[in-house]
Amino acid sequence: MRDASFGEIARLGARSDEADETFVMDEETFRVFYDRTARALWAYLSRTTGDARLADDLLQETYYRFLRAAATHDSDAHRRHYLFRIATNLVHDHRRHLRPDRVQMSEALEPVDRRPQADVDAGTARRVDLARAMARLKPRERALLWLAYADGASHEEIAAALGLKRSSIKLLLFRARRRLAALLRRSCPGSPGEDRHGR
Amino acid sequence: MDVERPPRTSWGARRWSMANAPAIDCDREPLVAAAIASGTWTDGSDRELIAHAAGCPVCRDVAAVATALRDDSASARQEARERVPAAGIVWWRATVRARAEASRTADRPISVAQGVAGACAVGLACGVAGAAWQSLEWLRRAGSIITALEPSRRDIAAASAVILDHAFPLVLGLGACLLIAPLALYLVLSDD
Repeated sequence: MRDASFGEIARLGARSDEADETFVMDEETFRVFYDRTARALWAYLSRTTGDARLADDLLQETYYRFLRAAATHDSDAHRRHYLFRIATNLVHDHRRHLRPDRVQMSEALEPVDRRPQADVDAGTARRVDLARAMARLKPRERALLWLAYADGASHEEIAAALGLKRSSIKLLLFRARRRLAALLRRSCPGSPGEDRHGR
Repeated sequence: MDVERPPRTSWGARRWSMANAPAIDCDREPLVAAAIASGTWTDGSDRELIAHAAGCPVCRDVAAVATALRDDSASARQEARERVPAAGIVWWRATVRARAEASRTADRPISVAQGVAGACAVGLACGVAGAAWQSLEWLRRAGSIITALEPSRRDIAAASAVILDHAFPLVLGLGACLLIAPLALYLVLSDD
């Protein structure tokens, strides 16, 4: 988003009643919808991009595009899928324009846990392992796994959010899951999921 | 060591690969995911399901991945609580941006019209300068004809020569005014 100068803002004098005409929903409806979806969306953006600051920017951009889109929604669920679809497309666009020298998976690893120190250390180590393993997956695999197991979305919901065929979700999810499980086992060999062959 | 190999015929190979392909799902996979989501997996209350997952490759992967992602999801939501701005701020930013974009869109035809007007003014100035140059040439030829015609009219020729000498800078000045005037007008009006 291009930053508007104070002069521009003063000249524009943003009035909410005019904004309501521009956007697909009024401010009150937006507040309710935002409070329901923003944290889950930020978590999704943060973990699929591996960059918390980028997730901040993409969150604002996602809601802006959502508000400007001339789309009608049958239900709250449909509205939510549409929002995640916009977010997914923005992440893809960002990856396409990403410079190769940009360092990712940095801020996402900062601990914000408030549990006792030993638990925090173990939790942080697990999070670092997971972040590293996630970074080695394809963006679509990250999105699939996050929606399925962190958000608890059904195959229909995942298909709607990612713009994929419902019939292909099972196989894609299986492949992504197998890859992540193998990477996690490799990063912590003593984990309970590891079999005696180390697979 | 005996290793089972795929048959050489295509039909046989297909049957072999179908029979030996790893299962991509398990009937109890949703139960494992639900147990992890509800927290009953970690407290070990459903021992039968845990025992099944230990032997089933699909459920074992589901357990490993879902446990890790569930933990990270809780942490990500905690992080989100601190980072996600209030709805009012996001709404205000979107409003300002929408109005700025609307303003830019409205200004676009005016800028195009100003550009076209500027180009027309420059073209007109060039045309006038060209015409003035041609008329100067014509006057010069007329002067030389008059000089050749009659010595008694030399005073007229001299007068026209004087006019010609002074007319050239005059025409140049007029052309410069025609060029500068639209630019000056644009600069004055663009401030509004």
